[in-house]
Amino acid sequence: MDREKEEKRYKSGLLRSLWPYNFNVERYTYTLHRITGVILILYLIAHVFEIYHLALGPAAWQQTMALLGSLGIWEKIGLWIIAGSALYHGANGLRLILNEAFGILLGKPVLPEYPYTPTSLSRNQKIAIYVIVLIVEALWIWAGIYLLWGLGII
Amino acid sequence: MPSKYSLLKESWNMILMYALALIMVFVLTFHLLLVSPLTGKTFEQVLNYSYVLHNLTYYRIVFGLLLYAAVIHGLNGLRVVLIEWLHVKRFQWIINTIIVILMAVLLAVGTYTLIAI
Repeated sequence: MDREKEEKRYKSGLLRSLWPYNFNVERYTYTLHRITGVILILYLIAHVFEIYHLALGPAAWQQTMALLGSLGIWEKIGLWIIAGSALYHGANGLRLILNEAFGILLGKPVLPEYPYTPTSLSRNQKIAIYVIVLIVEALWIWAGIYLLWGLGII
Repeated sequence: MPSKYSLLKESWNMILMYALALIMVFVLTFHLLLVSPLTGKTFEQVLNYSYVLHNLTYYRIVFGLLLYAAVIHGLNGLRVVLIEWLHVKRFQWIINTIIVILMAVLLAVGTYTLIAI
């Protein structure tokens, strides 16, 4: 590969890292963990300034709520996405703490042999990932019913 | 080649992230329960001024803990994501500076809110 092509590929790092080419289940969880983390920190920045209006008195709070209410259905859909992000990021984060801080679910280390299947993708690990997805989906649907109830969607 | 001390700093950084994440699992669950349907209130009722004010003043220490844990964990996470994506040495200093300023601003605004209410 010549230098120019190599440079172009290098600069496309961000999009390439998110493009789900040849991903295994662990890579999907990793990518989703990052995306939900970025969504949550952007929300947190806005949320701190939103709550700040509480200290300015009831009029300022009502004004902020009216502004958010003017977004209509998008306010609820936005909160639903944030709720899903928090549920997934928290549940997957707990799995990562078990993996990385305590070495649980990783399987025993083995000598590298072709086709180099990662031991981190053990049966227990896959079960943990699918259980997390199921619990998060159930709670996310529950949050959706609560948020979107009475808006004509549900 | 990273120095012995930078490696030490990074591993402490991860331990801090794990510790703050564990704190947040409990504190954020508590926060979400206060605005969940389990309270028996509608979405509009949990955003009522007096209800929000009551929760924030009554559980001030819990929300303070949540503020500090979420801001430090979240912005440190964003710093790591940005440094890994923008793999250029000179950006690292700029990213670190922006993150520290943003962290100071958010903690100042959040702490002021918790004290002033």
